[in-house]
Amino acid sequence: MKKYILLIVIFLSCSVSYGQINLNVDAGVSNTLRYGNGYEYTGRLRSPKEYFENLTDARLNVNGVTFGLRYEVSDPIEYGLNFVGIRKRYIEYEHEIGISARAGDYWEIISRGLSLNVFEDRALGYDTGIDGIRINYEKSFGKKNPMKVKGQIIGGDINYSDYLTPERIEKYKIRVVNGQFSPVKQIVLGLDYVYSIGDLPEESVNTVVHTDLPEANFLLNLPEVQFYAAYSHKSSRVSPNTIYPAPLTGKGDGFYSSLAYSKGKIGVTLDYKNYRYDITLPDNRSNTRPTRMLPYQNPPTAQKEHTSTLITRNPHVVDFNDEVGGQLDIVYAPTDKLTFNLNGSIASRHYQYQDTDTTLLVSYKRVDRSDSYIPSLDDPFSPFWEYYLEGEWYASEKVYAKVAYARQSNTTYNQLNPLSSEKLFTSTIPTEFKYSFTKEYTLTLISEMQWVHNSLRISEDKDFSNQFFSLTLSRSPNLNLTFNSEFTNDDEEPTGKKSWFLGEVSYKLNQSNSILVSYGSERGGLRCANGICRFVKPFQGFRMAVQTQF
Amino acid sequence: MKYRNLYIAVFLFLLPLASFSQTYNDFTLTDLEGNDVTLNDLLKKGPVLVSFWATWCTPCKEEMKKLQPIYEKYKADGFTYLAVNQDNQKSVSKVKSYINASGYSFPVVFDPDKKVFEAYLGVGMPYSLLISPQKKIVAKHLGYVTGDEYKIEEEIKDLLKSGSDENQK
Repeated sequence: MKKYILLIVIFLSCSVSYGQINLNVDAGVSNTLRYGNGYEYTGRLRSPKEYFENLTDARLNVNGVTFGLRYEVSDPIEYGLNFVGIRKRYIEYEHEIGISARAGDYWEIISRGLSLNVFEDRALGYDTGIDGIRINYEKSFGKKNPMKVKGQIIGGDINYSDYLTPERIEKYKIRVVNGQFSPVKQIVLGLDYVYSIGDLPEESVNTVVHTDLPEANFLLNLPEVQFYAAYSHKSSRVSPNTIYPAPLTGKGDGFYSSLAYSKGKIGVTLDYKNYRYDITLPDNRSNTRPTRMLPYQNPPTAQKEHTSTLITRNPHVVDFNDEVGGQLDIVYAPTDKLTFNLNGSIASRHYQYQDTDTTLLVSYKRVDRSDSYIPSLDDPFSPFWEYYLEGEWYASEKVYAKVAYARQSNTTYNQLNPLSSEKLFTSTIPTEFKYSFTKEYTLTLISEMQWVHNSLRISEDKDFSNQFFSLTLSRSPNLNLTFNSEFTNDDEEPTGKKSWFLGEVSYKLNQSNSILVSYGSERGGLRCANGICRFVKPFQGFRMAVQTQF
Repeated sequence: MKYRNLYIAVFLFLLPLASFSQTYNDFTLTDLEGNDVTLNDLLKKGPVLVSFWATWCTPCKEEMKKLQPIYEKYKADGFTYLAVNQDNQKSVSKVKSYINASGYSFPVVFDPDKKVFEAYLGVGMPYSLLISPQKKIVAKHLGYVTGDEYKIEEEIKDLLKSGSDENQK
């Protein structure tokens, strides 16, 4: 890394050594302090939980050269391993001719992320950031309807770990070449090639994986119609070791497409996904398989991202290695006060499998089908479907109301014993009502009702319901007082609890500083972002977050 | 971390003293039709409210609903409301149809690698910065609470008024 920084410093020194230097400096610092103290639940087992995290992000720009760093004190950290020191640092130079270079830490997405999408999500303890160098070049030719070209070279290292097993670190050396060409503003063509060498620890042996990942993408952007398509092909070669004594190769691919149409007061978007990065037999599936989709890839999930507390509690976990499906999203706004949203999505695995062994042993065989490019609703395909209807009404300057209905079905097929497959059906009605007493004071009431059917439970526990209520009094522009409550009659709730209560206060001290304090109990559960899902344990206690910008 | 409590106490004590001194950064981003939009060019006409938003952010959508009439009211005076989209790869395909169906007339641009958001030290959404034609950030709003639009409108009016006063001088 040091050599990259040295190269950039030399390059910059050369570029400013001639002529008079006129310093143009700007700087910014933001700070996030998070503290929590209470108890965390693993089933009914309660254990003390305390965390303290302080992240300071600083940015200094001098004549087009930007220096940035993050100083982190996470001791104890909420998720992952404790850390005190400089977590991120970078230096970046931008020249007006269209070239820019960055050395250090950065995140990057190429097109829609089929071949490269590295990002950080602190709430999930997820970070696939690259430590290396990135050189971009962008140039437009012509003025009225310019032709544009964009080129990018990336090289660096990624250290990836899951917060549930933070000590297991997968290391990747990655090289990327990316090019985009736009002959007219309505058309963008993209080509990129990713090559990586992965070092994956497994049972005290490290497995080395070489991966080639080319991608092509296309965008057509007309006034009423927008069409996008991307295809990437992954080819992995695993070097022989004691776990994989014979050379192992894995080939897979992914296709994503979207078609959006809007005219007048209606907008329609259709997404299609066909991810086959590592289709394998049921007993071979694993989150650590060396030929699986790599952590630096993250294609679109093609399903609705909900904001309702109860709907988000039962997310569909996308399997990027083996999933086909899509979603249809319609927005209709008959007036400027009324908006309707209809969303439907469906997904499944590509194939079903049969046990061909007649003894007690298991030997699976794939049952091929010619229409594997469309999802199936048959149970052996582990199907997921949902539909969502929402109406939103700004009745007046003082009154706002929203009502929605969501129906979801998620099947997790058990290949060994199909009768033990889990089928989860949920129906949820989220509502929101807002009344503004004055220009400053507003009362918001959120009510969510959910009915759940879980086929795997014993008969009397199969059906249960959840309720969530939230009442917020806000005073613009600086105060929010919130009281949340949640109830369930689920007798198999892991913590054994039936109710949760949480009080929260957020206050903006001024334009640059805000503080959020909460006390009470949180139900926890599965939390997803960008198709990455983590189980968050239930928590009871005190939390505080202070946000500052200097 | 034996000094943790001291750390928190000192930090909280210093909070209100933190002054607001963020600086302006120019940028060029692509709008819904593929055209380049440059902040500097918009500032030549008058003040600009740069607002970061995403389709999955409920308060962002409420803020947009409330700011659309404000934009219509003051755009003839040179004011621009520039919505900078932060949707990621999974929802970016819905942006254009959402904006068109909602009937919004303000310019919307894409910031796909969040470079502009990072340059303005964004940490959450909605996040708005009101920038004067003199390239000074005169107001910042992190988050949205119903009623914030009245304060934002006052800030825009003040900025337009100070601009016209300067022109008269």
